[in-house]
Amino acid sequence: MPDHNDYLNYLSREKVFSDHILNHSRSMISIINRDYIYEKVNTTFCNAHKGVEEAIVGKSLGDVWGHETFNKHIKKNIDKCFSGDTVQYEASFTTPQAGKRYFEVVFRPFPVESGEITHLLAETFDITDLKLSEKIAIEKEEEFRKFETNLPIGFLRCRPDGKILHANKSFMMIMDCSEENSLYHTNLKNYYAEEGIFELHLDQLKDSKPKTFGRVLLKTCGGNEIMCRISGFMSLDEAGNPSYIDFAFEDSSRELMLENRLLQAQKLETIGALAGGIAHDFNNILTTISGYSELLQDDLPKSSPSSQKVARIMMAVSKARSLTNQILTFSRQMEQEKIPVNVYEVLKETIGFVKSAVPSNIKVKSNIRKKDAPVFADPTQLFRVFLNLMTNAIQAMEERKGTIAVSLAVVNGKKVQNELNKNIVADEYVLVTFSDTGKGMDPSLLRRIFEPFFTTREVGKGSGLGLSVVYGIVSEMGGDILVSSEKDKGSVFYIYLPVSREYVNISEIPEKRKKILFITGNKYESRILSLALESVGYELMQSSDYKHFSKVISDAGLKPDLIIYMSDAEQIGFDDLMKIFQNQEIKTPCILITDSNQELLEEKLINSGIIRQHLIKPVSLKEIKNAIQLSIN
Amino acid sequence: MPGILIIEDDNDLREMLKVSLHRRKYKVFEAQNGKDAITHFKPSVTDLVVTDLIMPEEDGLKVIIKLREIKPSIKIIAISGGGKAGPGSYLNLAKALGADVIYSKPFSVNDMIRKIRELLENEQLE
Repeated sequence: MPDHNDYLNYLSREKVFSDHILNHSRSMISIINRDYIYEKVNTTFCNAHKGVEEAIVGKSLGDVWGHETFNKHIKKNIDKCFSGDTVQYEASFTTPQAGKRYFEVVFRPFPVESGEITHLLAETFDITDLKLSEKIAIEKEEEFRKFETNLPIGFLRCRPDGKILHANKSFMMIMDCSEENSLYHTNLKNYYAEEGIFELHLDQLKDSKPKTFGRVLLKTCGGNEIMCRISGFMSLDEAGNPSYIDFAFEDSSRELMLENRLLQAQKLETIGALAGGIAHDFNNILTTISGYSELLQDDLPKSSPSSQKVARIMMAVSKARSLTNQILTFSRQMEQEKIPVNVYEVLKETIGFVKSAVPSNIKVKSNIRKKDAPVFADPTQLFRVFLNLMTNAIQAMEERKGTIAVSLAVVNGKKVQNELNKNIVADEYVLVTFSDTGKGMDPSLLRRIFEPFFTTREVGKGSGLGLSVVYGIVSEMGGDILVSSEKDKGSVFYIYLPVSREYVNISEIPEKRKKILFITGNKYESRILSLALESVGYELMQSSDYKHFSKVISDAGLKPDLIIYMSDAEQIGFDDLMKIFQNQEIKTPCILITDSNQELLEEKLINSGIIRQHLIKPVSLKEIKNAIQLSIN
Repeated sequence: MPGILIIEDDNDLREMLKVSLHRRKYKVFEAQNGKDAITHFKPSVTDLVVTDLIMPEEDGLKVIIKLREIKPSIKIIAISGGGKAGPGSYLNLAKALGADVIYSKPFSVNDMIRKIRELLENEQLE
């Protein structure tokens, strides 16, 4: 039997062992009594609090952790433990020594023989390192999630059969999917617009190497088609069988749009060069025709039937010249006479002109306020651009009700650069927008609208040159055109023109200002033209009624160097003009500007020999200036 | 009678101009292109030149410069059916280089003859 000393030795050994275990545990271990006082703490506890056991034992939890922390966070858990439950929770404390630390805390009731809970065993394990690595993991995931959500690239994971396991927000956006309808397309295969392509992709991914497939036509949830650049990677399981596939989808609509625009511009450049060459040759031929016609005219007695026939040939030549001029305008080989112009003024006149002639089923809504929108242009050509676009809009709404909306703004060049994706030539641009509620165009039509002689109208209605001329004039100015259109909804034309505020006048100023008597309705186009002629250095007298005209022409002091007659002069007809010329024996050279629909009277006028030059609309400022210079001796 | 040189590569057009000018009793010389015109140019009997601007072999602009060098007093009429050299048009360049009158095709031949008479009359006055 062991003696007392052996027993004491045994106990002492046990205590040494249990103390060793207690003190070398990585947990802070303590015994707390019902007064929230520490009765026993281990070495780890002491080390954490940078104190010795004697300094901690006898202190309250409030003393050690701070009274606020104790009352707020610790006390309720300890009370719960004293009522008999084991309590476990995570907490973080900030101690002056160690800064912010995270702990896992366990309170266990400490049973004494009587069964009454007088103490509890507190075990606090520092989990700061674990917590931090967890936090880093969460942050990393959060970061990746952001990257996955913020990038405009659709990410998708699917099973080898195409069943979608996960898709990010961008995929949903690209594919126009809402929460509801995304369920319909649970298989990636359904998004492919063409059959068999998905299978083709799968086959190429089998070697478990990343692949980029280029652009593929997809079908959105809304049923629209969209072009996407697709990349994919197939992950294999341990046995080497396909387990899932990751795909990336990049919307290439914008890229495609820009490519199309470039292609279109190149195509128009080529057609322009070709058409310009043809127009050039035609002008040679027309000169020969008109020259022989003139020779013939000289041989024939005036107003003989044969002479009238020759006159018709010459009128046809004028018409053909108008056509070749339009082609040359499109191919940007037309001579230009540019002056500083406020787009607002030209737009106002165009809208006024359109409003005066528009059918009642069509409303013209113009929201343009007086604005400083200076560009460097031929104002008559700018009028032509706006008129063509508005006329097209009206024609797009034929036989139904509709609205044309016109707006004018000055926008920042940088914004234009973004929108057009091309180098800008000015800090600011004038943006004129024409939108209609007409029949719209599908993409295949939209691609071709600027091509010369491309028309959707019946043969004989319209030359098919309108938009080509618009394109030529705007390009020549350094501007650009954007068009958006939706079938049966309508079209919007955006015209960008570079703002030009500085202007150096390099055109020659005539020594003696020539006087021009301008017989017009003085509205719209003719008003623009008269302002333009004044700004290139001519002195203009307007005449819009018969009385005034006959007075001016017979007054020696007012005698003009030239008369320009524009066919919008309603108060003075062709016959009036002829009468005055013949009665008063006027020798002043006269330029006639008419529409291409000729009347019998007009023919008589041209035959009468009064007219020095006959121009057919559309005429540019340069053409008129040339005609003036050639007519004034 | 004054002599006129027509430089034009379009045969029909050149012929038409020749017929018209003959009728007004002008002496007419012809050249198909700028190079021929310069080689066969007779300054003593040529008072006025009508030249096309876009031609194969030596274009009209160079012709204007060379003719002016050979005979500074010569009158020059430039004609063109469109086309641009850089930002300016051929016709504007021609004017800048010293063409007295410019015509864009198609033009009235009677107009041109009126102008020719005017130019040559002024010369006689000078």
